[in-house]
Amino acid sequence: MAGKRLRWAAWHLLAAGGAFLMVYPVIWLFMSSFKKSELIFVTAGSLIPDPWIWDNYATGWKGIGGLHFGIFIRNSLVLVVLATIGAVLSSALVAFGFARLKFKGNKFWFAVMMLTLMLPFEVTLVPQYILFSQLGWLNSIKPIVVPAYFGAPFFIFLMIQFIRSIPAELDEAATIDGCGKFRLFWRIIVPLIMPAMATASIFSFYWRWEDLLGPLLYLNRPSMYPVSMALKMYLDAETISNWGAMFAMSVVSLIPVLVVFFLFQRQIVEGISTTGLKG
Amino acid sequence: MSMRFAAWRSQLTGYAFISPFLLGFLIFTAFPVAASFYLSFTDYDLFSAPSWVGLEQYQTMFSGDPKFWRSLKVTFIYVFVGVPLRLTFALMVALLLNRASRAIGLYRTVFYLPSIIGGSVAVSIMWRNLYGDDGVINLALNLVGFESVRWFADPLAALWMLITLSVWQFGSSMLIFLAGLKNIPPSLYEAASVDGANPPQRFFRITMPLLTPVILFNTIMQTIAAFMTFIPAYIISKGEGGPLDGTLLYSLYLFRRAFVFYDMGYASAMAWILLMIVALLTALVFATSKYWVFYETKED
Amino acid sequence: MRRVWMLLLTALLTLALAACGGGSKGGNDGGSGGGGTQSSGGGNAGGASGSSSGSSDSGSKDPEPVTLRMAWWGSQPRHDYTLQVIEMYQQKYPHVKIEPEYASFDDYWKKLAPQAAANDLPDIIQMDISYLSQYGGKGQLEELTPYLGTIINIDHISENAISGGKLGDQLYGFNIGVNTIQFQYDPELIKKLGVDKPDDNWTWDDYYALAGKAKEAGLYFDSGLRPEVFFGYYLRTKGQHLYSPDGTSLGYDDDQLFIDFFAPLAKLAQDGDTPTPDVKAQVKGLEDDFLVKGQQVGIWQWTNQYVGLQQVANRPLEMAHMPGPNREQGLYLKPSMYFSISKNSKHKEEAAKFIDFWVNDIEANKLIKGDRGVPVNSQVIEAVKPTLDPALIKVFDYVAWAQQNSSPMDPPDPNGAAEIIALFKEVTEAMDFGRLSPEDAAKRFREEASAILARNK
Repeated sequence: MAGKRLRWAAWHLLAAGGAFLMVYPVIWLFMSSFKKSELIFVTAGSLIPDPWIWDNYATGWKGIGGLHFGIFIRNSLVLVVLATIGAVLSSALVAFGFARLKFKGNKFWFAVMMLTLMLPFEVTLVPQYILFSQLGWLNSIKPIVVPAYFGAPFFIFLMIQFIRSIPAELDEAATIDGCGKFRLFWRIIVPLIMPAMATASIFSFYWRWEDLLGPLLYLNRPSMYPVSMALKMYLDAETISNWGAMFAMSVVSLIPVLVVFFLFQRQIVEGISTTGLKG
Repeated sequence: MSMRFAAWRSQLTGYAFISPFLLGFLIFTAFPVAASFYLSFTDYDLFSAPSWVGLEQYQTMFSGDPKFWRSLKVTFIYVFVGVPLRLTFALMVALLLNRASRAIGLYRTVFYLPSIIGGSVAVSIMWRNLYGDDGVINLALNLVGFESVRWFADPLAALWMLITLSVWQFGSSMLIFLAGLKNIPPSLYEAASVDGANPPQRFFRITMPLLTPVILFNTIMQTIAAFMTFIPAYIISKGEGGPLDGTLLYSLYLFRRAFVFYDMGYASAMAWILLMIVALLTALVFATSKYWVFYETKED
Repeated sequence: MRRVWMLLLTALLTLALAACGGGSKGGNDGGSGGGGTQSSGGGNAGGASGSSSGSSDSGSKDPEPVTLRMAWWGSQPRHDYTLQVIEMYQQKYPHVKIEPEYASFDDYWKKLAPQAAANDLPDIIQMDISYLSQYGGKGQLEELTPYLGTIINIDHISENAISGGKLGDQLYGFNIGVNTIQFQYDPELIKKLGVDKPDDNWTWDDYYALAGKAKEAGLYFDSGLRPEVFFGYYLRTKGQHLYSPDGTSLGYDDDQLFIDFFAPLAKLAQDGDTPTPDVKAQVKGLEDDFLVKGQQVGIWQWTNQYVGLQQVANRPLEMAHMPGPNREQGLYLKPSMYFSISKNSKHKEEAAKFIDFWVNDIEANKLIKGDRGVPVNSQVIEAVKPTLDPALIKVFDYVAWAQQNSSPMDPPDPNGAAEIIALFKEVTEAMDFGRLSPEDAAKRFREEASAILARNK
């Protein structure tokens, strides 16, 4: 009896302890954003700011180079939304093709697609850059957004798994009723795979939100910088006058990701789980 | 409607649906990969046309560029220390959390959180400051009686920063392990208990073997992902890979050669070497997998 | 049949979506093609006047609107006043709109090169001596000689100042400010080392001795010397140069020079008289700078950095000359930076007009305040000086003194200079950490630098 209680307590201690350690860095960042800049590193050991100030957020929001932080957030949103719409829709289309349509080469191209998941980005980085340079797309969001409209293998795979769980009888019934493939896709399958599309959207959201390499290469004007580049600009600035401001903006940049995560965590978790198991 | 026509039509339909992927693959993957191969035999600085130099880039890489070897070494350490550590923690915590309890959801969220935000610039900046001379990590070390470490003074210490950042993000692997664990029918455990198996035995004889497919999957994906790590190295070392190339991960060095020094031919050669290394490793893991991965034959 | 067309339509739609999926959000998207809208008729080829607010030249016909893209690097204060000067210019010439692009020094070059490759450089480009060869030599920059005296008034600008932007005979960058190197220090802190100031004619040995006392006094003496700049100076005092005249190899043969210069510096770092690289890497910005915090005696840097430093340090600083022997042979006036015009610009004359305004307009220079170096126009110097803070006046005077106590500068850095600077950083870091002996460093530097420069052959 007591043993079980003890084990329960020990387990919770271990789990809670581990959890605290995991989250501590984030808590530290959050708390530090409310400390006075000069005190942040001096009082690194104590989590509670003393005095507690809100100024860092105001200062940080003013931004850099006359661009207030809202601009960077707007830029990030534009990138993320455009890319996500493209990625999710095109992936659904392709997933339907692979999962439901019989055609010669289905298995072959599916295998090719899975292989691309394992291709290191370094191999395509330079030629893609050159390609975009020849197209005149440098210094614009096109290189970042346009490729998203060609399907993202990870999402395609996710959705294929999902579509497979939809009984084929449904397809047959619809076809008998005179549904063409596209109608079948749009009217029947898509509504049914909404959860997978939602999951894909969430992943797309925070991957794109955090992306630095694309913006680093293709966005050259500070007014076009997304949040990730803006933070890097804070770090680079030869005269960082305010570490508190930078921490505050770091927190701000993480908030959308955290919000999305907390709201949709179940879907995220399910999403990862289904890809992990080749069902 | 003739059979041939119907068949032709379904071909077309199929390809129509996957055309976005096909096109994208050709334009953004296949062509670049081929172009990259070609460029690796040239000298190209983006200004003027590429000029053919044969194997010179590869020669320089192997015999005239100590930085290349340092970068490779650093990356290998990062991958072969980081990935096992990451997977170990993932498995351990997954085992810990694999029980029906209402608190599980909360814990799972907390452990998974770093995975979500870990790839961001904000976190890299924060990590850099955690490891500062006057940072929290050193404070913690002091608390338990160790001396502060100058993390930015020593290449290996600096690399350790990157490794710990990667390990901190074990949450995604943990979720996959959790899913794998859930897939193990409890009846197996019950049967084993009835037969008198104790927990360690149950773990090694039931859990581990049945998890091996998931372990395989995780190992491959995490290894490849590790070779692609860029943002932490870039932000923590402020783009330079220091100190003394201690954080010069392969992707960062490639980036520098391509976009700081505009040495695109060399960078392409580097990319292909990486591709071969990754392909080799993956093939190796797959080849040896039949010795340790247990595929349960499902009857359904 | 209809269904097949539906599918094809879908595919096409997807493609169409992709093609116009980009859109130009986030401000002006000048990605393709130059930044100009309609081209003006070359503006007024008479040049702006050489003094303040000259009469506007717009005659009976209004000039067509022109958009110029202008790029520069710097920090926040520089961005601020530059934007103000641009505003001033736009007020004066309403038909001109200038689109600014600015970044930190490192990012700046990363952005410029792809623009060059796409023939899409900004009209007005801030240029640095270490990149002039690269961009000028590859035909990316407009040759400026035809604009001298016509659009760009050079009545009060010395030939010396202008020639600093030449590669051979071609003028690729217009000097917009003059700099020289010096030691800037805190007079109060240096007293803790037992002297009131460094001797006017101090030598390197004097410096090592003085700096060696810093640790005991609980201070750093300086934060190191940028190798490419100060080793270059040192070589000049010994009658050598860092680069050979044709830029295909190093300009000195004796590695002992390398050892003589860097070994004592490495020792200072290892002894704790100057900060080690990891400590420097963690300096969290100018306010965290050791000198600013009163923990470091001085800093070796360019004259145009003096004012900013003093402002942040919030206390009076002093200047000391470079150490000798042979200071006069080593010292030089360097164009701190140039403005160049891109070869692909569609509004070269308008761009030149802006450059003329920048270097000659007195009101503008009252805003610029020598942040990019002491003005090259002697009249501007005279007119602006009285309005300046004492600190800035000191800078101007120092440069004037240097003009009399220096020798002609070396030709612009050859192609590959950026890589050599990175190489310098690597070996000095290793030396400062004590992981590489100066002897080995000298050899390694020679090997790798020679390989880099040999590509210019």
